[in-house]
Amino acid sequence: MSRPDDFSDTDLSAWLDGELDAERRMQVDAWLHDNPEAAARARLWAADRDALRARLNPVLGEAVPPALIHTVWQHRAHPHWAQAAMVAGLLVAGAVVGAGGMWQWQGQRAASAIAAARATDAAGTPAGWVQRAALAHSVYVPEPRHPIEVKAQEEHLARWLTRRIDIPVKLFDLRDEGFELMGGRLLPDAGGKSAQLMYESIDPGAPKQRVTVYLRKPDAAAPTAFSYRQQGELGQFYWVEAGAGYALVGALPKERLLALAQAIYKQQPAPLQASAPTR
Amino acid sequence: MSAPPAFRQQLLAAIPRLRRYARSLVFDVQSADDLVQSTLERALGHWRQFDPRRDIVLWLLSIAHNAHLDALRRDRRLDVLPPERMTEVLDAQPTLGGDVGLRLDLTAALERLVPDQRSALLLVLVEQLSYAEAAEVLQVPAGTVMSRVSRARVAMREWLDGGAAGDGPRAAGRPDLRRVI
Repeated sequence: MSRPDDFSDTDLSAWLDGELDAERRMQVDAWLHDNPEAAARARLWAADRDALRARLNPVLGEAVPPALIHTVWQHRAHPHWAQAAMVAGLLVAGAVVGAGGMWQWQGQRAASAIAAARATDAAGTPAGWVQRAALAHSVYVPEPRHPIEVKAQEEHLARWLTRRIDIPVKLFDLRDEGFELMGGRLLPDAGGKSAQLMYESIDPGAPKQRVTVYLRKPDAAAPTAFSYRQQGELGQFYWVEAGAGYALVGALPKERLLALAQAIYKQQPAPLQASAPTR
Repeated sequence: MSAPPAFRQQLLAAIPRLRRYARSLVFDVQSADDLVQSTLERALGHWRQFDPRRDIVLWLLSIAHNAHLDALRRDRRLDVLPPERMTEVLDAQPTLGGDVGLRLDLTAALERLVPDQRSALLLVLVEQLSYAEAAEVLQVPAGTVMSRVSRARVAMREWLDGGAAGDGPRAAGRPDLRRVI
């Protein structure tokens, strides 16, 4: 003989949703037969379900707003923040070379961004190589087919990059922070060469995120302070430590990017003398 | 390379369901469509991550869920609608039919649920996903979906019955719900 407390609300709810196996469903069927109060509860829940559907289903029949259709058809390969980074570069160029440079907007956005990077370099600000790091990030992160030059699995990646850029390149392990190394590439830099390591978020359920680490041999006068700046969605942590310049670039919340920067800082190959970075 | 036309077609086909789910999460039409907009943008920006063997609607609902959580973190106003704005918001709802009393309180009760329970309830009851599918979208175990759906049902029914109206998770300062059924 069944007792009223044989089945919980959770059982009854799963019964109503058709989520019980055949045996358990029959047990609940029998129990409901003997428990009109529970059966009434199930009927009310079913009525609530139907009311919810009646309330929301009409949305399916509404005309789709043109803005949404436009989004689907007009979306470009490069995300907005890549454009934003380039525009930011252009604005700096405008400030330096004067408003006459603005006409370049029409066809030479990338060229302008590079000019901007050079201009800031010439002005002696620390942002020149950081700007190049941001630009390299914007160029390669959205690249679906060849985001990297050499895959992380290839053992010689670290050795190859180390030889090319003249500073020890370590393949930082950011898996504890949810990012996995995809690989790296060699890049031209103002004074010579630099390396870019690219990481992708591991969480399979969430949209993939990529961050890049830009490494270069710093200029003698380069400031070493751990710094942060933001351009559009793109955050950049950069610092110079033990003969290497680092720029971590990513469209992540600042705290998340900071955690990655700290993980890199702890793993950097040279002796650690300075205190750990703080915001 | 940007998303191929076939992928964009699939997105277009999924828009009505995305709009329904978004409307059930954020209630007012413009904010709901903003959520759909950012869902579509994320999908187009990450189209390579979509495994074509998967159901694209589940994938999109999952992106919408993440985008909604991001929006909640960014702007708590999307989560809590002040009661004095309720009438204004409901006036903007073209789907309200003759039985306004019932639907108003259904909306109020739905809105009063904590977001975790509300998402689970809507995915199972309105989107008609199985517990396993809803678990995939919400990235929680199926058992968690089962208990959230059940708790959401019990809470909503209690509020619709006019009982324990002050016990809601964010009932402070709210007028009691009217009994309608």
